[in-house]
Amino acid sequence: MGSIDSLYDKIKRHVVAYFTGNGYTDASTGYSAGELQAVVFIMVLAAMFRIFMIPLGIVLILGAAIMVLHFAPVIRVIERENSSDLNRVLFWVFVYFSVIVAVTLWGR
Amino acid sequence: MNETITNLWSIPLLIVIPILTAIVVNLLYNRGRAIRAVSIASAAVLLVISLVSPYGFQWFTGQPGVTYDGTYTFNANVFSWKLSLEYYYGPLQQIMISVMSFLLLFVVAISTKSLKKNFGPYIALMFLTYLSAAAIMMVNDFYHLWIAVEIGSLLVAGLVAASGGGAAQKAALKYTFFSALSGSGLAIALALILGITGYANITDAINSLKINDLSGMYNVLYVSFAFLMLSWIYAGGLAPIHPLKSDVYRSAYPHATVMLQTQSKLTLVAIGLVLLRMFGTLPFAREAMLSISILTMVIGIVMALIQTDFRWILAYLIVSHSGLVTVGISLGTFRGIVGGLFQAVNDVIYMSLLLVCCEMVLYFGRGTSIKFSGGLAKRAPLLTVFVILGTLAASGVPPFNGFQSELILIQAALEQGLPEVAAVILMVSVSTFIALFRAIYSIFLRPGDELQQGSERFKLPGTTLIFLVALVAITLVLGIYPQLALNFLTESALKVVFVPWVP
Repeated sequence: MGSIDSLYDKIKRHVVAYFTGNGYTDASTGYSAGELQAVVFIMVLAAMFRIFMIPLGIVLILGAAIMVLHFAPVIRVIERENSSDLNRVLFWVFVYFSVIVAVTLWGR
Repeated sequence: MNETITNLWSIPLLIVIPILTAIVVNLLYNRGRAIRAVSIASAAVLLVISLVSPYGFQWFTGQPGVTYDGTYTFNANVFSWKLSLEYYYGPLQQIMISVMSFLLLFVVAISTKSLKKNFGPYIALMFLTYLSAAAIMMVNDFYHLWIAVEIGSLLVAGLVAASGGGAAQKAALKYTFFSALSGSGLAIALALILGITGYANITDAINSLKINDLSGMYNVLYVSFAFLMLSWIYAGGLAPIHPLKSDVYRSAYPHATVMLQTQSKLTLVAIGLVLLRMFGTLPFAREAMLSISILTMVIGIVMALIQTDFRWILAYLIVSHSGLVTVGISLGTFRGIVGGLFQAVNDVIYMSLLLVCCEMVLYFGRGTSIKFSGGLAKRAPLLTVFVILGTLAASGVPPFNGFQSELILIQAALEQGLPEVAAVILMVSVSTFIALFRAIYSIFLRPGDELQQGSERFKLPGTTLIFLVALVAITLVLGIYPQLALNFLTESALKVVFVPWVP
């Protein structure tokens, strides 16, 4: 019983953690839908790496699953990183640009 | 439809008429009726020109091409190195610019009615935004591409800043800040390509890459690809620039956002095709484009789901659906490119429908926040029908146009052996429905005490009603008979895949 209670508490904490929006019920449904979509997208994108090597895809799916569980709810992280603050956008622009240059040069 | 024409009359007109209109409406400044008459007449003329124009080239400055044997030619079908600045008007340009002209016509009709004063400069910015997008679509040389993208990004900022309050001006300022980065990126890409090939003309540069031995210069080519991609990301509002672009979309008046999102989609298509034509055969080039596209789709839709304002939801959906357009182009196959181009056409139409509905919500004096509104369906049933039809089209529900293009995109992804991409496209469709219906329920369908007290029905203005009916009709016609649009798109897709040096 103890373990069931503990699991229930964990799920409850997890669900309550979605209630981070500025609004009421509509905001929370949006956040929970967004969380689920984000998790599925992350798993699907990890699976895409099977194109390069199937074991790599498997490892990345497992890694993504562990990361998602550890950092849940990920929607809060996604929301924070997608703010329109200039410093944050500039940071991500440099990251993306570096990756594009590195990957294309490496691909050669 | 003779492609040997190298002084096509319609191309300069599509460039000059918006400029002249912008000057005239600026001078008229506050004379509402005159501005309305001039701008509607101009937009109608642009629509007619784009519809009736034959296909062909315009070699500005009148310089001929130089053939292999050193002689000169004005014949576009004869191989030559073109020293002049080149514009091309073909089937792809025709459908894209015609759709944009159609939207411009109604947007100026609505905006000149709804704005109260000093809207001459605002309408001028609208026409110049049209001009930049038309130029980006038609241009076949890097110089003009750079100039058009630079002008376009400044005009976007101008249009947003002219839309009102502090938030709009803040969004415009942030967007302008990054235009320096992107414009410089495109200039560096142009300089590197010019340095390697010796040509600014895109066709000539591609031919030069094919003919000459570039051993030792490939690294430079990769860097120029990365810089050109940076410009593509910025101009189209892809990840990671999407927070700024969505700020821009939500801060402008919804009718202005119709033009802004159309300009973005056309820019994405034009630069995307240039990237494919120029660098499509480089290892990892298409993969890099595809990765950015998928990330944009995913982040855009997830962010749309958590918004609590209809305008914000639409802003992020426009971003997400930009990813749908570029996914098709990035796949690089015939079907993928056709799907991407068709998605661009469909997207600007159904998003315009939703944006005009959003404008009407504001026009009726209602807020667009989904937290504090409700019950609008009782007071504006016709508007509710339009917004639901727009939602169905955007979600890819048959028989609307979104279904056809998304189906082609899914088929293209499966053909390429990428079921994950197909799954993401499907999930974006479903999530679009969820995001939009949350807002529709809260604003239109949920009982609202305050609104239920009144019995008077809101009446849609005549121009807006005609616009909404026309947009719904187009979504249905393209959904039932997609070949109507596909006939314009297949030739361009074939050229990009098989003869990329042909514009």
